[in-house]
Amino acid sequence: MSEFMGFHRPNGDVGIRNHVLILSGTVYANGVCERVADTIHGAVPITHANGRCQVAPDLRVTRRFLAGTAMNPNVGAVVIIDHFKEEGMTAEDLAADIAPTGKLLATVNIRGEGGFISAVEKATRYAQDFARQISLYRREAAPMSKILFGTECGTSDTTSGLASNPANGLAGEILIAQGGRMLMAECTEWMGCENWLTEKAARPAVAEAILAGVQHMEARALASGEDIRGSQPTGDNMAGGLTTIEEKSMGAVKKIGDSPIIEYLEIAEAPTRTEPGNYVMYGPGMGAESISSMAAAGCQVLTFCTGGGHTSNHPIMPTIKVTGNRGSYELMRDTVDVDVSGVFTDEITLAEAGRIVYDEVERVCNGYLTKSEALRDNNSFAIHRVGPSI
Amino acid sequence: MKKVFVVYATDNVGTAVLEPIQTGDHVGCNGERSDLEVIAQADIAYGHKIALMDIAAGDTVLKYGLSIGSASSDIKAGDHVHTHNVESNRGRGDLAERNAIATE
Repeated sequence: MSEFMGFHRPNGDVGIRNHVLILSGTVYANGVCERVADTIHGAVPITHANGRCQVAPDLRVTRRFLAGTAMNPNVGAVVIIDHFKEEGMTAEDLAADIAPTGKLLATVNIRGEGGFISAVEKATRYAQDFARQISLYRREAAPMSKILFGTECGTSDTTSGLASNPANGLAGEILIAQGGRMLMAECTEWMGCENWLTEKAARPAVAEAILAGVQHMEARALASGEDIRGSQPTGDNMAGGLTTIEEKSMGAVKKIGDSPIIEYLEIAEAPTRTEPGNYVMYGPGMGAESISSMAAAGCQVLTFCTGGGHTSNHPIMPTIKVTGNRGSYELMRDTVDVDVSGVFTDEITLAEAGRIVYDEVERVCNGYLTKSEALRDNNSFAIHRVGPSI
Repeated sequence: MKKVFVVYATDNVGTAVLEPIQTGDHVGCNGERSDLEVIAQADIAYGHKIALMDIAAGDTVLKYGLSIGSASSDIKAGDHVHTHNVESNRGRGDLAERNAIATE
């Protein structure tokens, strides 16, 4: 069993980063959040288009995304800003969700402070104090079993299913062997290989939930006039050599390994179980929403497998880009972290590629910055909508 | 000799990810199945698949060690393997009932 050096939180979680989060409760608080974050060393703003005029089920999902992001172990302190008292989405509502983690927490209401300038001042003072307090926190040893390792794929190509995704599945198995957990979302990509997933389900209820999740996503797409099954694989996919939906989907879901699937989660929901193994989550293929849902579920680190060279990076969950396409790696050298294309030329075996991915994950858990982190290209916070704006 | 990539030892197709293949090329395998060699019976574009052995109509086409569909006609070693000779077993309305039973 190996260890990593992380930030131990009051509730027993262990983070791999130590951020001050400036969390916007509603779209209309985004400006204050950004101004505060601009001022404070190491602060990360979380801004978005939600929090107002949402139907109740949709608002609940938004709240899980926002509170979950703040509860992520990589966050040491949180300043929440809202503009008015939104029913079901006040700064106090979010604070009530986050408080059990025991982390530093403050709320600021723009109207209550008398407008933008006073709200910025009050929130900045909180954030300054928090940034200094958490700067005293030190990394301490923790077992790898504390890691919830998220995985995603996007801008996939022929190399994805053959190299980066299976290597990533093997990396997950190395973590799981040490007691860790791996999380995969994007149930749109389970279509065509549901059986491969349900065979791994630890309990019948998990298998049933996997099938229901795929059917639910398909029904939502159908209701919008889109038949996902009829359009998959896409014309581009077929021109690229993918023949059937199961070929495409298998290539995608191979980013988890063969360990049992312990639990099925609703979008942005944290696991309730702690057994080592794979965990799966309902959600769209849309990359930013998908990885944000996994950060909200508590993933400290994420691998993003990409044949074409994706730029996605989550603001608080280091996002390690892995490619099996050497051309993409060369072209996107400042953005893509790991190149496993050597499997195609027999320079490395797939097992060695898995070890290379795992070693990068472990380094990042110990504080090594990803390429996009070093650039602060925090482009991928997005909230999945399940209802219309009213 | 040109090479295709084989991801799993039980696969009966390889993928042209290193270089495109022309009809008549001698083709070997990187990854798994380095023992196998075929002569290409068709041009195989980048990302497309070549049969590593004969696959009879109705037999399973294996990639990642898993079924990606069934041969819709007899496929010979070295043939291009794609939508013209493979059909999906999933996501098909005509098979929905059978699949529902299979997943119960």
